[in-house]
Amino acid sequence: MGIFEVYKEGEIGKKAEKLFREERSLQRLDGWFLARETAYLNEEELGRLPAEMAAAVKLDKVIDVMPLSISEHAVFAGTQRDAFARTYALINPAFEVETFCGYCDATAVFDDIVPNEEFTRERIAAVKDHMERTPYVRKLKEVYDEYEDYTGEVAFFIEQVTGHVIADFRGALAFGVDAMILSLEKKEKEAQNDKYRVNFAAMKRTLQTAVKLAGRYADLAKELQKSADPGRKAQLALMEQTLRKVPAKGADSLYEAIQSYLILWQVMCLEQAPNPYAFSVGNADRIFEPYRAKDGLSRGEAADLFKHFLVFFNIGDRSWAISQNVLISGRDLAGNDLTCEMSYAIMDAYYEMNFPQPILSVKLHKNTPDELYEYMGKFFFSPGVLTPSLFNDDSIFEILRQGGVEDCDLPDYSVAGCQEPLIMGKDNGNTTNSWLNLAKILELTLHHGKSLITGKKMGPDFTKDMSAEEMLAQIRDKFYEAAAFYIEKMTDAANGASEAISREPVPFLSVFMGGMDSGVDMRDTEEQGTKYNGSGCLIHGLAVVADSFLAIDKLLAERPEQAEKMMEALQADFAGYEDLQDFLLSAPKFGNNIPEVDREAREIAVRISDMVAARKNYLGNSFRPDFATPSTHLLYGYWTGATPEGRKSREMLNYGVDPLYGEAGQGLGFRILSAMQLPYEKFRGGYASHYGIDPKLFTAPTCEERGLQFKRRVLTPTFFNEENRGIAPFYLYVNVTTPEILRAVLANPKKYAPSGVYIMRIHGTFVNFLDLSPAIQQDIIKRLDLNSTRV
Amino acid sequence: MKIIQKGFNYSQDGPGNRLVYHMQGCNMHCPWCANPEGISLEGVRMYVEDRDSGRVKEKFSCKEYSVEELVEEVLRSRAMFFEGGGVTFTGGEPTVQFQELKALLERLHLEKIHIAMENNGTNPRLTELLPCIDYLIMDFKHPSEEIHKKITGVSNKTVADNLEKILESGRQIAVRIPLIHGFNDTEEALQGFLAFFEAHSSERMTLEILPYHEYGKEKWEQCRMAYRVEDGYVSEETVKRFEEAFRRAGISVIHT
Repeated sequence: MGIFEVYKEGEIGKKAEKLFREERSLQRLDGWFLARETAYLNEEELGRLPAEMAAAVKLDKVIDVMPLSISEHAVFAGTQRDAFARTYALINPAFEVETFCGYCDATAVFDDIVPNEEFTRERIAAVKDHMERTPYVRKLKEVYDEYEDYTGEVAFFIEQVTGHVIADFRGALAFGVDAMILSLEKKEKEAQNDKYRVNFAAMKRTLQTAVKLAGRYADLAKELQKSADPGRKAQLALMEQTLRKVPAKGADSLYEAIQSYLILWQVMCLEQAPNPYAFSVGNADRIFEPYRAKDGLSRGEAADLFKHFLVFFNIGDRSWAISQNVLISGRDLAGNDLTCEMSYAIMDAYYEMNFPQPILSVKLHKNTPDELYEYMGKFFFSPGVLTPSLFNDDSIFEILRQGGVEDCDLPDYSVAGCQEPLIMGKDNGNTTNSWLNLAKILELTLHHGKSLITGKKMGPDFTKDMSAEEMLAQIRDKFYEAAAFYIEKMTDAANGASEAISREPVPFLSVFMGGMDSGVDMRDTEEQGTKYNGSGCLIHGLAVVADSFLAIDKLLAERPEQAEKMMEALQADFAGYEDLQDFLLSAPKFGNNIPEVDREAREIAVRISDMVAARKNYLGNSFRPDFATPSTHLLYGYWTGATPEGRKSREMLNYGVDPLYGEAGQGLGFRILSAMQLPYEKFRGGYASHYGIDPKLFTAPTCEERGLQFKRRVLTPTFFNEENRGIAPFYLYVNVTTPEILRAVLANPKKYAPSGVYIMRIHGTFVNFLDLSPAIQQDIIKRLDLNSTRV
Repeated sequence: MKIIQKGFNYSQDGPGNRLVYHMQGCNMHCPWCANPEGISLEGVRMYVEDRDSGRVKEKFSCKEYSVEELVEEVLRSRAMFFEGGGVTFTGGEPTVQFQELKALLERLHLEKIHIAMENNGTNPRLTELLPCIDYLIMDFKHPSEEIHKKITGVSNKTVADNLEKILESGRQIAVRIPLIHGFNDTEEALQGFLAFFEAHSSERMTLEILPYHEYGKEKWEQCRMAYRVEDGYVSEETVKRFEEAFRRAGISVIHT
């Protein structure tokens, strides 16, 4: 029997809603602990194996011991619940900006599990202790200890990257993993050396593990049939039958394809537990459309099934598996639009469910049909409903091409994390590997390597024995000199973190990242396992530094005698120097279409991007400049003292490539004119930009018509503006609301969000506004900055 | 060219989304002026209180740009001229900087940019600019030459001449009357307006009443200039009475 024979009309959608509510009632997430404990309990056996095989065997043992369940509301089997902890800071009500420290402790997650009778303090401590002894954590600690002077107050920050890639499951969905296992067996036999032989064998073992997991779920579905009523019994029978088929064999229907996909995803996340954030589904409509079409399913039927796909990405009471991306639409190499029936089915599922995860992203281009913009109008202009982030394929194709991506791979670019473009199944971008704080580097340049926040000496003095006036006159040269120093340290540290995480190989994921061909683990630091590889560098404080240079120019031109006084003012956080602060604030600010400061921002972006890209990662590939600041503009601002453009100590930095909050009051038109000056072709790793938009600017009677107004008034000038001299902007997310509306929602959530969910966007992801920590709620409200987007 | 302020504005001074340039200098000195910093030909110092800190900041009313810079800026802004938009010149009084304005308009017209201009109608060479202007907005403040001169400092004779020529040419024009109590809200003034439009009319003329407001009052204080209008507000009834009278005379009355 087919899926729509065993479920009554409307039943699948209703079950998705119930399943989501059930998931959101979960207050504990302990599966990741069991996964880590499995490694601890089998330490001796695993220790005797080569690392790649040990990872495969560990994964297999995890699958053996992990308790499984199938909810009465489930249409599919599978969960990624066991890979995530209740950790992610921004949706943790206990999170405070003040508590952030520039140290990524891989074992801190053990503090996120509340001890109880089953998970006692002793049991938790034993596993934590074991993890601290792993080569991975020991190496990571070494790296942090070595670079602590720089990371403590965030001149830069580094981290080991987990998640953040786009596995390509399409082959497995189509042909089944049994076929891949056969192929790996052959490769194992023909392997040229032990390393490849072991790797192929380990990869094979993990695929067998995926089939085993499906088998365990099938057995459970069979068991549950015994006590089920006839209706549910038929549903469970179909589930069992499907799980006996996929992912071992190829899928022949949309139901089978989704089931196969979810099992593979579950194994992929378990392999990296805990907290492998920001895996991406990739171009979901293109992945699933062939199965929908083969099945002859209607858009509504496909949407109903996809609702369960979406529930799968919501974990626990706050949807803790944050930043997983689902992309739709886009273009092919020739510029043809790739929007299909499945694109709209996916949008239907999103709109009707309005879940806090996963993220929806829409890829646009010059030939995107108006119908898609009309549909997006429903998202943008329905209060509290999620809004897609937007990508410009026309620009991204060109940037990737210039970055060495072959034409045949361009349509397969997708996005992992917030906005980092990667090639599906072929690109390990280590996207969040390093984080650079230009504003702090400016502070250290100005103050002889000393932090204004703590007075601590953090780095070398690049302006030794110079008078204030001499130093300010040479501030650009000195800043770039300092930046070169910190970038070198940062990339060295980042490579150390990548080396640390390479001690935890990922044979399962590697299968879907080119490992079937290369025989190399995608985390290998000595041999490249993926077709494309790089390391990310998220660059903070562009507008703050550009504005600061212009403020210094103004000071030297009009009040050169006050150079020393400005240095004192910065040290005093402008207390007692308010007149001077006003003078500095009156200097040109980025984002207002003022040529000299816009040129300065461009120059900084070009030079810093080039310096970052010139640095090589562990495989000799470039670091990828990414001007994104996923709420870290708040955290890093907190560790940055007063800056010459008039910003006070500890205040937030600018977001992404946007103007500093409150400094661009000339409306959207001028913001776009300024933004057009930036060198997008340099932003190989991506960038971030946000418009807070007042819904009153859109006057058409229906949401769909407002969607077209949004296209004409906001998107076309931003993305498809023929006056751009170079590559046009390629990323944007929006919040269509006002501070008044959001304050009303916070004051009276029952009235404005009766479901308990009111979706807003923060950086690249969307979240339930009501789940956010107060600091982030206030950041969203403040950063709407409606004056900068007036039409 | 001296520019007080520039920025985009949707559908207020011309159709669609427009890049609006407020130009420094005006030959009138209307006491209700909403942009008093634009009256002086050279520009004035302004003292603006910051709402957050309460501190007073000093700034100059205008900045200087070359014609080239403005042409470049407008062309770069093309994508923002959606829904029939373009550029609007207003003031101050844009025709005070006549030579440069003319050069700028000619350049932009050649580039097929939609151009609107709001002016006070006093420039005797106004018609020289008309070939470049797609949407003309012109004030007609008072039909009496004597009162016009007394309050604005300039005779309305050229205004009436220019208006007459334009109306008779049959080209589009959006006439605006700022309706101010104690200045032109009288029956006598209304009859004067009606008499003028009875003698000179065009189907392509629209008329808009702009009731007195005090949005610019704070700026008079910032310029350290005395605001002398004591009670300029007009009632809704008066506005309606004027509008009805114009409509009865066959004039197209609009609100933007």
